[in-house]
Amino acid sequence: MMNSVIKETDSQPMLAVKQITRRFGGLVAVNEVSFDVHNQEIFGLIGPNGAGKTTLFNLITGLIEPSSGQIFAQSQLISQLKPHQIAAKGIARTFQNIRLFGELSALENVIVGRHLHAKSNFITGILGLPQANQAEKKAKQKAQELIELVGLGDRLLEKAKNLSYGDQRRLEIARALALEPSILLLDEPAAGMNPNEKQVLSKFIRDLRTQFNLTIILIEHHVPLVMGLCDRIAVLNFGKLIALGQPEIVRNDPAVIEAYLGVD
Amino acid sequence: MDISLLLQNFLNGLSIGSIYAIFALGYTLIFSILGIINFAHGALFTLGAYFTYALMGEAFGFNGLLANLQLPIKLPFFLALLIGSTLAGFVGVVIEYIAFRPLRKRKADPLLTVVSSLGVALIIVNLIQYLVGAESYTFPSNTYGNLPAAINFGSSDKPIPIRTVQIVIFVVCGSILSLLTYAINFSRFGKAMRAVAEDQVTASLLGINTNLFIVSTFFISSFLAGLAGTLVGSSVSISGPYLGITFGLKGLAVIVLGGLGSIPGAVLGGLIIGITEAFVPADYSAYKDAVAFSILLMMLLIKPEGLLGRRFIQKV
Amino acid sequence: MVNLFNDYAPLIISMILGALLGISLYLPLMTGQLSLASPGFYAVGGYVAAIFSTKIFLTSGLYPWYLLLLEMAVAALISTLLGLVVGIPVLRLRGIYLAIATIAFVEVLRIFSLNLEITGGAVGIFGIPQPFNNTLEYLWVVLPLLIISSIILYRLENIRVGKAFIAIREDELAAEAMGIDPTHYKVLAFTLGAILAGVSGVIAAHFLNTWNARQGTFDASIIYLTSVLIGGTRTFVGPILGGMMFTALPEILRSLANIPNLPLWLVGFLKDGRLIIFGVLIVIGTLFFPQGLVTPDLFNNFSKLMRTGLNKVRLKKI
Repeated sequence: MMNSVIKETDSQPMLAVKQITRRFGGLVAVNEVSFDVHNQEIFGLIGPNGAGKTTLFNLITGLIEPSSGQIFAQSQLISQLKPHQIAAKGIARTFQNIRLFGELSALENVIVGRHLHAKSNFITGILGLPQANQAEKKAKQKAQELIELVGLGDRLLEKAKNLSYGDQRRLEIARALALEPSILLLDEPAAGMNPNEKQVLSKFIRDLRTQFNLTIILIEHHVPLVMGLCDRIAVLNFGKLIALGQPEIVRNDPAVIEAYLGVD
Repeated sequence: MDISLLLQNFLNGLSIGSIYAIFALGYTLIFSILGIINFAHGALFTLGAYFTYALMGEAFGFNGLLANLQLPIKLPFFLALLIGSTLAGFVGVVIEYIAFRPLRKRKADPLLTVVSSLGVALIIVNLIQYLVGAESYTFPSNTYGNLPAAINFGSSDKPIPIRTVQIVIFVVCGSILSLLTYAINFSRFGKAMRAVAEDQVTASLLGINTNLFIVSTFFISSFLAGLAGTLVGSSVSISGPYLGITFGLKGLAVIVLGGLGSIPGAVLGGLIIGITEAFVPADYSAYKDAVAFSILLMMLLIKPEGLLGRRFIQKV
Repeated sequence: MVNLFNDYAPLIISMILGALLGISLYLPLMTGQLSLASPGFYAVGGYVAAIFSTKIFLTSGLYPWYLLLLEMAVAALISTLLGLVVGIPVLRLRGIYLAIATIAFVEVLRIFSLNLEITGGAVGIFGIPQPFNNTLEYLWVVLPLLIISSIILYRLENIRVGKAFIAIREDELAAEAMGIDPTHYKVLAFTLGAILAGVSGVIAAHFLNTWNARQGTFDASIIYLTSVLIGGTRTFVGPILGGMMFTALPEILRSLANIPNLPLWLVGFLKDGRLIIFGVLIVIGTLFFPQGLVTPDLFNNFSKLMRTGLNKVRLKKI
């Protein structure tokens, strides 16, 4: 059930991260990070390895609980919700180490993404009641559209585990889109791609934003990609936010340069 | 409740608890090294009892393929105990080679190995039944040589008799546990074993022959199982090939209570369950077995990592 | 011909009951959970039937079919409640912890049934009345049950709920990120399995005429687990075939033992070493058939073969 899906109003940002901290025993993985993400912004999250970027994603999507701090999706507090509840609020994600349903076909993977939008339960589904059948049909249709959108139309029925790496990444995005999210979190979507593919991906992400009115947050290692694509960038290092702003400003920030290149 | 009865119960509990501890120790060693529950452990427990019984020159019954089997040797108890447990240890190694190693080689899901161990348990237990039948056997009454049946620890007007059997059990269990604790914590071998338990890949990169340690762990674990089985068999009786099955299931309760993979946890868990069982009032003795399983269920629901275990954090 | 059928009727009914228990284990397995709880619910169902028919509704002659249905309904209800009560806390556990918890659950049930008066203690309950004149007529109950279960499972794999099950099995974390509530679906699968096991227990109790604590044991769990694992874990056909095969295995071995001119030790082995063979099959199964014998690929290839084969026949006729 997609209830209380978040929508931006003039007063509230789409996503507000407030003083989020997460400790693992003695290690502080995320340290009092705060930032806002605005409607239909493409927001970049960068930083050296181990800076806490994926942990931050996991906090936003409810996979782990914050040690302190809060996260708001528009005015709604989401930091105490479970992952499936957060998905129901319209926040979808892809994973750093692709997590597809290997034994299911590409199409079925995306159909699973339609779970929240298809109105059928165990009884209505088994009995094949018209309402349920309709829902299943529509889910399949929508899934097919999305698969074609990401260019996997000819590999619909391939098992996800048999797809090439690049195709798997695209499939994961299609599956996330199936949720009809308002916010899309992409964790290193360009990993393993050559420069050409990265260009294509960049354009693709921009098109997604316009086509689906998405707010996009992405973690990425390839700095030029991020600089060219994002409206604003946040830089993490050792769990702390060390810079936040437009690409040109962040690029020249001494703290950022030091974090990536070290001090001479 | 008078002191003597209390003490009796406590000592009974301690005695059976230390056997649980020894048994659970073997279980937990394998879990800590391989992350699996070896269900064949209970079968090895049974095997040890049968081996020792045979080594003492006792006769088997007239059922089964090897009816009336009686070995032409008659070893004293402690020697038979050692050899019988060692034989059990070797069987454990064989199991590792045939059933578990191939699965590890192809990085199979650990649950598959657990299932395979169930199969191995079935094979062993039913092979015993097939070969020597399903009757129960008792060890001869002079098992412990010339020691009296009980030793009085109190005074003459307030006697506190303790069965010799229990003393034997204490001594054996205590020495083995001390030996193991010393070996694991202070010897080079033990340190290497803990390294392998912690992280196999890194350990092998450091030049530790992980396979050797895995095999050694299986040997030690199976030795302990056989030892525990012999102690139970000799102190109570060998009730049949299925002796180890209930024990095996209780062993699960012990290690979950103590914490999967934790060595002190196995000891603590064993003692707690042993003593708790001993204090079940006589009217409810049939429910004794339920004690262990209820504790198990409670632990799983409240604190699955056990009293001394560590919580696993899944990396996304 | 009819005589032959009648001779084998008990075996056929047993095989179908075995298939049903296989399916009851398969349902939680669809969500990736190794639950060995089915024999527990099976035992409870059997006791419901036993108690109802020997202590509550005492009838003479054939046991009326509507009372049988009542027993099935009550067993289904109790299984649902017990399934929820046990399932919700226990299904928070993963992997081996879950398996252990379900083993413990079955053991606790077994110990209680061994000791309570109402379940007849260690001796169990005897003289459970028959609802049918001859064994073959049990097909009236078990066959529809099997067919309905098969249809449900076939459809399940194609609808939203079934896909949620499989998604959870494949990657629970990712499934959750897609809005699937894992606890809800895991409990659903677990409870469905429990209901099937409970209802099967009702039928089995009448079929076997007696019921006792040996009906739901850890041993039974292993045997059904084996049949599912060897039969096939990725499609519902696997557990059905596996359940049937493993129920029939003792009979097959027994008839093999009657082949003339076999060495004596082999004959004895075939007769008494049945469980050893089980064990060997389990070990071999995990080594060579991790997904079981009947895999979805096998199934797809088979039906593809059937379809193209039929097409060829049609073309020829023209």
